[in-house]
Amino acid sequence: MVLPPVAVIAVFIGFPVVAAIAYTLGRAGGPNSVVASLGQRQFIVQKGVTFDAYRDILSNPTIHRDLWATVWVTIVVTLVVVAVSWAIALYLRLTDSWLARTISALSVVPLFIPVVIASYAILVFYASDGFIKTVAYHLGFHGFPTLGYTLTCVTLGEIWVNIPFGVLMMSSGLNGVPNNLIEAARDSGATMPRVVRSILLPMNVIPTVIVATFTAIYVLGSFTVPYLTGPTAPNLLGPSMANFFNSFNQPQQAEVLAIVVFVLALGIGAVYVWANVRTGRRSGLQS
Amino acid sequence: MSATDIGLDLQHVSKDLGGRTIVDDLQLDVRTGELTCLLGPSGCGKTTTLRMIGGFLVPDRGRVLISGQDVTTLSPDKRPTAMVFQNYALWPHMTVFKNVAFGLRLRKLPKAEVKERVEGVLDLVGLTHHVHSYPARISGGEQQRVALARALVLEPKVLLLDEPLSNLDAKLRVRVREDIREIQQRIGITTVFVTHDQDEALSISDRIAVMSGGKVEQYADARSLYREPATTFVAGFVGTMNTYEATVVPGGVALAGDLVVPCGDLSATGDGVWEVGVRPEDVRVSLDDAGAAADVLREVPRGHYKELVLRAGPHELRAFVGSDLPPADRVSISFARALLYRDGVLHRSATPVPAHS
Amino acid sequence: MGKRAHGQTLGVAVMSAIESEGVVLGGLPEAQLPAAPLRPRRAVVRGAAHRIAGVVFIVCLLVFMIGPIAWLALRAFSGLWQYPQLYPKDWTLSGWRQVFNDPNLRHSMRLSFEFAPIVTAASTVICLPAAYAFSRYRFPGRRFLLISLFATNAFPKIGLYISMAGVFYSLNLMGTFLGVVIVQLIGTVVFMTWIPAAAFSAIPRSLEEAARDVGAGPLRVFFRVTFPLAAPAILVAMILSFLASFDEAQGTFLVGVPNYITMPTEMYTLVLNYPEQVAAVFSILLAIPSVVLMAFARKHVMGGRLAEGFQLR
Ligand SMILES: Nc1ncnc2c1ncn2[C@@H]1O[C@H](COP(=O)(O)OP(=O)(O)OP(=O)(O)O)[C@@H](O)[C@H]1O
Ligand SMILES: [Mg+2]
Repeated sequence: MVLPPVAVIAVFIGFPVVAAIAYTLGRAGGPNSVVASLGQRQFIVQKGVTFDAYRDILSNPTIHRDLWATVWVTIVVTLVVVAVSWAIALYLRLTDSWLARTISALSVVPLFIPVVIASYAILVFYASDGFIKTVAYHLGFHGFPTLGYTLTCVTLGEIWVNIPFGVLMMSSGLNGVPNNLIEAARDSGATMPRVVRSILLPMNVIPTVIVATFTAIYVLGSFTVPYLTGPTAPNLLGPSMANFFNSFNQPQQAEVLAIVVFVLALGIGAVYVWANVRTGRRSGLQS
Repeated sequence: MSATDIGLDLQHVSKDLGGRTIVDDLQLDVRTGELTCLLGPSGCGKTTTLRMIGGFLVPDRGRVLISGQDVTTLSPDKRPTAMVFQNYALWPHMTVFKNVAFGLRLRKLPKAEVKERVEGVLDLVGLTHHVHSYPARISGGEQQRVALARALVLEPKVLLLDEPLSNLDAKLRVRVREDIREIQQRIGITTVFVTHDQDEALSISDRIAVMSGGKVEQYADARSLYREPATTFVAGFVGTMNTYEATVVPGGVALAGDLVVPCGDLSATGDGVWEVGVRPEDVRVSLDDAGAAADVLREVPRGHYKELVLRAGPHELRAFVGSDLPPADRVSISFARALLYRDGVLHRSATPVPAHS
Repeated sequence: MGKRAHGQTLGVAVMSAIESEGVVLGGLPEAQLPAAPLRPRRAVVRGAAHRIAGVVFIVCLLVFMIGPIAWLALRAFSGLWQYPQLYPKDWTLSGWRQVFNDPNLRHSMRLSFEFAPIVTAASTVICLPAAYAFSRYRFPGRRFLLISLFATNAFPKIGLYISMAGVFYSLNLMGTFLGVVIVQLIGTVVFMTWIPAAAFSAIPRSLEEAARDVGAGPLRVFFRVTFPLAAPAILVAMILSFLASFDEAQGTFLVGVPNYITMPTEMYTLVLNYPEQVAAVFSILLAIPSVVLMAFARKHVMGGRLAEGFQLR
């Protein structure tokens, strides 16, 4: 029963990934032959492997800046998404009012808006003639910076796209904490902030890790948001990959960047797997 | 009784939830060091009352006093109460030690003292061998003790327990409830214990408040509750009670169908129709024909006594008799003692009235 | 216990400790349990400050979350609109006419609505049995497969598509309908497996066993007991799948060009080459199915169906 999806994944993802790795190491045979026959500035060997493609791209100063931009945007987005979704989820967990329901409805909207549209909408919103500039102008900030086509805009866009998942995940985790555990802590003399710190926080570690890792991985590999809302350079690695492939016709370099992102993402993914395995072992937790 | 003798005082407390009055003008005082049970059918407002004492709910009307001090609007963290929750509410990410120590840590006590007090209280509940286990790894009875220890370690003035035994098996319930009673008496803490199990209530409390529809029907010790239930509701809820409509006649009571049953003591006397209640053990059964005639429908052995289901005229009644009574199809019955109710309320003369006057 | 006296002095220390700790929750109004008791005046003043902070937070959230979409919607109907005017000078439907009269755009809309249901259906058929197996059987390599599924999610899509192109060339899938379906399908496999798997795991085995007990065969048990109980989660997964497929642009572009240009793929061209208003109109059109689905599935998504899917078990 597991076979069909595993086969699909193996043929259309597993195999290409392996092929991609081989390609970046200089092997242009098999599935890579078509791409390799069209690409430029390739580092190919017939036997063994070569790291020349990696050397080539990692010594490129533009790529350095892109790499840093990617890392920074990823860190900022992850931190903000975790913090905001925690705050919203906490508020939803502890109150039940029309306000809370409105917030929860608001925060999942992006889940249902295609990313292309979201990116475009965000670009227009923060553009030089967008809402933010207009409002700032009317409030007297005539020199308010234009955020469209900047990394700030990319960051805002990525946050926008990732908030719903964060809120849903955190809410589900916090809703899993029974009321009487909170009440028991109140009864022992804990104030609400203390309840959050001593009960809700430690009991919600897994959802937090999930939100952080999935958000980080999403941002690392994202293309649409930075492509549409970001500057030409430095931008995230997603658009630069596409650039190397489409504009420079250097598929090997594009693949090297993909592998770099993949390795970063796997490192983050390891945290996710580790956290899951750890609670798996402690499972049998009471209600 | 001076004011300081009253550990907990609920004055005209009411609470409306979801548009209904769940607790209605409730009055209850618990003496310092006393164990009071709130007993009543499901949904009568026991938990709601307890949560108002603990500060998880604020009464809409009325006041809550602890040791004479008004705590009506204080939040749970600021009142000297400690609650043992029905399913224990142990924090799964903390060990037994940390669960118990949590409240002390909040109070910023020195480490050594925290340790000493936690170990002391774990010793009190007999749990010294599980100090560093996680709650998920210990048995239900042990979890129950941790919950109790966690409440006791703060040395609250009032201990609140909401059906603390309902997740335990029958044998363990009996043992743990005795342990709780023993510990409670040893440290002399004012306690409110919620249960819907009358056995539990009768066996451990100093006084029992029987609740129905958000009100206290009767508040008394186990003996008077059983011997003299103040209302027909209490009579029916605590123990078994045979009830009939009857009039008082010389020497006994006359039930419908012209059945006159001889009776020893009556709680009151007077004309008109009464609701008469007779405990099964107050039904005298003999093989002569001194009393009213009855057919034996069924005989249920109960160990050292047996329960007879009888029919007398149109009425069915239950009687507890000694195991030595020989089996018979037809017997003669009389009442040793009968309680007279009118409008659901017990009428009682200062001294029991002998029926043959 | 013999420490009662100590307990009393303790109380004072506790009170002051609690007072000094304050109540600040990330700028939110002080969180309350449904029935928090009244607080003294100082706390009330502090509560008001928090309430204001809360309102500010919510207004920011509203602007941040809904602002871009609303602003874009406004653009779709606006004629001349010059910075820094707060609203357009005049209103027009010309953008809409332009979109509906452009055969390319119309064709792309039709294609999008063809691919998304097909991909969703294919993904469901392929992944549901796997989800069931992952939740019900502890076969060797189970965890490895779950983690690999996750790892495939971590490989950047662009890199994957470039490399996948090689495979597609050799299988003659480039520029074909099937090729596009496959490339879109790949993006749906992970959650189409995870979310239903979590839902299946949440169904007690005893429910299935009881049905077996009264004489139902395994297939009947699945379709009469397991499936209906897991249906909300499966629905959520299918909707996400639909949206993912509807949303997919790069892979579709790479594989489908020039025969199959779907709406999001077209969108990239639009953004760069058409007047802003046309892009806005097209965006609104592209968002319609999503909004409809949202209205339809919000309850289940919010109910934690989605979140549960992301716990590895
Ligand atoms: N928040 C609430 N909103 C509306 N009604 C409520 C609320 N909390 C309790 N009730 C109702 O109040 C009544 C009394 O509830 P309570 O929990 O006090 O009963 P109880 O005596 O503890 O019953 P049990 O023995 O079943 O625990 C019930 O009918 C319940 O439905
Ligand atoms: Mg209750």
